[in-house]
Amino acid sequence: MHLTFYVASAIAVLSTIMVITRYNLIHALLYLVVSFLAISIVFFVLGAPFVAALEIIVYAGAIVVLIIFVIMMLNLKAEAVEQEREWLTRKIFIGPALLSVVLLAELAYMILQSRTTDFNAPMLDAKAVGLSLYGPYVIGVELSGILLMAGIVGAYHLGRQKKKVVHRFLESTEE
Amino acid sequence: MTRNDFLSVVPLFILTSAAILIMFSIAVKRNHKVIYIITLLSLLADFVYVVANMAGTRHELEPLFVIDGFGVFYIGLILLTSLLVTMMSYAYFEQREERKEEYYILLILATLGSVVLVISKHFVSLFLGLEILSVALYAMIAYLRKRERSDEAGIKYLILAAFSSAFLLFGMALVYVTTGTMSFEGMAQYLATVQGLPFMMVAGLGMMVVGMGFKLSVVPFHMWAADVYEGAPAPVTAFIATVSKGGMVGLLVRFFDTLHAQQYPVLVLIFTCIAITSMLAGNFLALRQNNVKRVLAYSSISHMGYLLVAFIAGDAMGTEAVTFYLVAYFVTTLGAFGILATLSDTERDAEVMDDYRGLLWRRPWTAAIFTAMLLSLAGIPLTAGFVGKFYVIAAGVHTQQWLLVVMLAVNSVVGLYYYIRIIAVMFEQPQRDSDQPHMLHPVAYIISGFTMAILTVSLIWLGVFPAGLMGIIKGLL
Repeated sequence: MHLTFYVASAIAVLSTIMVITRYNLIHALLYLVVSFLAISIVFFVLGAPFVAALEIIVYAGAIVVLIIFVIMMLNLKAEAVEQEREWLTRKIFIGPALLSVVLLAELAYMILQSRTTDFNAPMLDAKAVGLSLYGPYVIGVELSGILLMAGIVGAYHLGRQKKKVVHRFLESTEE
Repeated sequence: MTRNDFLSVVPLFILTSAAILIMFSIAVKRNHKVIYIITLLSLLADFVYVVANMAGTRHELEPLFVIDGFGVFYIGLILLTSLLVTMMSYAYFEQREERKEEYYILLILATLGSVVLVISKHFVSLFLGLEILSVALYAMIAYLRKRERSDEAGIKYLILAAFSSAFLLFGMALVYVTTGTMSFEGMAQYLATVQGLPFMMVAGLGMMVVGMGFKLSVVPFHMWAADVYEGAPAPVTAFIATVSKGGMVGLLVRFFDTLHAQQYPVLVLIFTCIAITSMLAGNFLALRQNNVKRVLAYSSISHMGYLLVAFIAGDAMGTEAVTFYLVAYFVTTLGAFGILATLSDTERDAEVMDDYRGLLWRRPWTAAIFTAMLLSLAGIPLTAGFVGKFYVIAAGVHTQQWLLVVMLAVNSVVGLYYYIRIIAVMFEQPQRDSDQPHMLHPVAYIISGFTMAILTVSLIWLGVFPAGLMGIIKGLL
């Protein structure tokens, strides 16, 4: 069982390196998703299935979708569609797909064995997480809210400024 | 939550409510004056509450916070400093920015982060406090977007702060793996059961020192200081130099005192190296600098080095010396940046030496106050800086840290050169007539002048009668 942990960790490291070294944002994102999936498997192996699910829902689901939205909004012209077609060739999917298949195989193996962990950690389910978050650590949750507020107010202010340089795509559509 | 628990987090509540109130107030109508007054009143009310109700009590708010005399003193200090930064912000931002209201939300939130830092006794509250402080500072540093350097400073701080947070988190993880707990007391209990310091613990604490050292801008984590000080608006620079560092110093003292870190030679060695290199690098880099903001940045690096001398000394006297030095440093730094803010015009801050040439003949009072502040930074008698340095040296001698004490003395002499150089420039005869800048409503200047007067009086008062503050510190710690 230790092997599953090491394989998942290796995939996480490998895909993260690929994220950093890609020149193309979309390609990097594909590997980023794989990296999140791998980390989720790591959590699963360590006996925290709830955190593993959160990792996929929050990171691979919500955050990556947001990044894709931003990229889509930046590309507004017809040539961007052509460019997008070039970006998303079949060849690109091979790497992330292979890594994901390995992760899937691990997951299937673990479920078939019906033995998800042998690290001596107690199982951490959703109830335990919820009880400690809204029990002793409730001030921590509130402070996280304040942290987000600081981030949003700051981003609002910095983002709202009149732009010094208008993006060339946006400029041509305004005419 | 019991009633006592609730009462002990009221200072955090007041700050949070103020931030939300300002946000609603912006939604109704943008009015700089109203928001400014809300900010002032809430900080003042918070300070009064802390002084009146919380001194002398000790309350543990499991598992995150401990509110004791030390924490109450640092909360008061941070709130008062934020109040003074706010007071000098009005005139500064009124001249410059169209949308100046969000600044006050960020200021209050950053203050909240710093307050959380000084009362935390758990990794969770430590990290959340640190991140609230950092995230608010990112936007504050880059607040004046039209400025040439503000983006650069903001991005630099963002990347390096995030990087150092990663180090801090990794360090916390290693410490957690070794000790199995995230509360400071739990770690101390674990350390009491083992001989020496386990290797994983050394690695973890070392990585945490990277994260903490970044916020304190000590060598070798000081690279951002000069650029960020230069690019940020003057009141924000004052805030970074005081509240942000003060919060981290409070945390550092609490954390390492709880662990009794001074009994481990390896940790003492790490801090000794950091202290000595900070003193040397800060002072020698400042020598050839012509930009006053950068000089103050390098001087703050060396001051953090001095402060670490008292921190390494470690016993009760060391903590007192750290606290006293911090108060003196806050008063002086706020004064220096306050003068910088009042001299700045709408295009850029008054940061080049030429802005100060002949200042004594143009604006004698401003020059006199700035001279007093610089002399205090240099540690000349009759100023707060001197008593602070004296206290630090006393703490160092008390625990036989001869190397550190000698380095401190040598560096004070080196530091004298660049402080005196700025003073000499101010005393030169003016060569050109500067045109009068666009004037605001006189009340704005009265507030700034009042702030400066408070700071100067407390500077001299601390320098001549330090016993009062020493008594308060001794009573609370």
